[in-house]
Amino acid sequence: MTSDVRPSRTPDRRRGAFAELLRVQWHLALRQRYIFTGLGLPTGLLVVFWGIGLLNPGQVAGSGLTILELWTPTILVVSYIAIGMLGVPATFARDREIGWLRRVSTTPIPPSRLLAAQLLLNLIVAAVATAFLLVVAVVFFGAPLTVGIEFVGVALLAIAEMFSLGLVVAAIAPSQQAAEYMAGGLVFPLMFLSGLWVQPVQVGGPLATIMYYSPTGAAVRALLYSVFNATPPYTTIVTMAVYSVLFTFLAVRYFRWE
Amino acid sequence: MGSGPDSGTPVPPSVGPEPAIAVQHLVKRYGDFVAVNDVSFSVRKGEIFGIIGPNGAGKTTTVECISGLRVPDSGQVFIDGLSPRKDRQKIREFVGVQLQEGALPPRITVGEAVGLFAAFYRNPLVPDHLLDLLGIARLKNKEFRKLSGGEKQRLSIALALIGNPRVAILDELTTGLDPEARRDTWDLIEQIRERGVTVILVTHFMDEAERLCDRLALIDHGVVRALDTPEAIAARAGGFRVRFVPSAPLDDATLRAIPGVEAIERKDRYITVTGTGDLATAVLDALTKSGIHISELESRKGNLDDAFVKLTRTPGSKERDSA
Repeated sequence: MTSDVRPSRTPDRRRGAFAELLRVQWHLALRQRYIFTGLGLPTGLLVVFWGIGLLNPGQVAGSGLTILELWTPTILVVSYIAIGMLGVPATFARDREIGWLRRVSTTPIPPSRLLAAQLLLNLIVAAVATAFLLVVAVVFFGAPLTVGIEFVGVALLAIAEMFSLGLVVAAIAPSQQAAEYMAGGLVFPLMFLSGLWVQPVQVGGPLATIMYYSPTGAAVRALLYSVFNATPPYTTIVTMAVYSVLFTFLAVRYFRWE
Repeated sequence: MGSGPDSGTPVPPSVGPEPAIAVQHLVKRYGDFVAVNDVSFSVRKGEIFGIIGPNGAGKTTTVECISGLRVPDSGQVFIDGLSPRKDRQKIREFVGVQLQEGALPPRITVGEAVGLFAAFYRNPLVPDHLLDLLGIARLKNKEFRKLSGGEKQRLSIALALIGNPRVAILDELTTGLDPEARRDTWDLIEQIRERGVTVILVTHFMDEAERLCDRLALIDHGVVRALDTPEAIAARAGGFRVRFVPSAPLDDATLRAIPGVEAIERKDRYITVTGTGDLATAVLDALTKSGIHISELESRKGNLDDAFVKLTRTPGSKERDSA
């Protein structure tokens, strides 16, 4: 009657638990509305820069690119910043702060699965944002972009960079409030370095160099090459990879489940 | 293995003789503070086992070591012969835990939370049935942040039970509930017992312990002060308590002269004497002889509350039982 249940979980069951986690996280994310920020903010920016492009036709600072073409990669990266910094850190810090992770850790599902579901969900949102922005830029605003496999690789690396930075915040922030302040404090420098206000080709000099070797500036530069189906300079890829590894290392090093 | 008891000895379905949980010489320190100091007890299958004690006595730390949330500095815990640390994965499948402070994401609904936890276990209960049983089916679409204290508590109990556990560890079950909700929750725990679930119940309410628990461990300063049935522990309070209001001031000496009186307490107008024998009659006789009338006379046997106070207030009392 009380015969022992089999010790190992069947794969089906595990998938069921993870699917349920994804489903619930998705509903929670919708109620928190940050997903709309991740999609809405870049869409709004795209419209704004399309408008600016209409008022200022022609090339920007001898780059051979229009305003819309030049800014599209920046807007993609801004979307990754919004999703990576506004989504995971505060939610995760809160779940830890209120004891939800601890509660989950008493069940057969480890809290790492909760984090995995959050990351996967945000990755999906980032992918949707990317596809949406490109379609709008190309189909509605007529930007001559051609993306290939290189673009997918660069975009994934840029997403990995922003998500791992978000995890550093999630790791070291003692509370949800702290995570929000820290992420909020990072969002504006990251956006500035991505060229949202001014592009490196416009400023030149040491500031352009700083931007090129910053986490978001390198991502924008690599994306700019890849949206025209060209191979990005290897320095951009190396820069992004180094930041991703560094952030991941810091996140793992300082990570706390409780 | 093969030499277990045959069907010749019928075992009552509820409380079995074999231990479901064994705690042996458990020690847990936080820095210099010894939270749990050599605690041992065992819990039988199907039993409701209470852990009582004052705040900060080490109750929660003890159950957190049992559920595997904390690693003891020394000593051992076995649940159905498994170690909460080494066999953590197996144990989490059949041990349901209700934490003292375990909030949920503010916007998760009751239905989502219970459905989610059901997906975590191999043989869960049907969420709708459980919500019905707990009387919170109507809250299914309500978000956690909008629940009242009692509703949160019920949800917390639901999450502890959804996995159809063989062992349930419930920490401060009814703290923050109004009297009616408390009584409903007690009924619920009795229903759980009928399902054959072994329950460890941490509480600082003596009425709760008296009503629900088959046996109790009274923990104070990290040490087990008493380990017995609620009745047996209550009996340690000894004798009777008589409370009254005298018509004129009374000094302690007069009271102490009454045969059987052991202790005197005063509060407001009331005097309470504790002692043995036919205390009420003795007090009444003695005071009538001295020309003092008494009113509002109350006499009762010592209860768990009294025993609790006695056992936790005696300085240096190192009285210990073993399982």
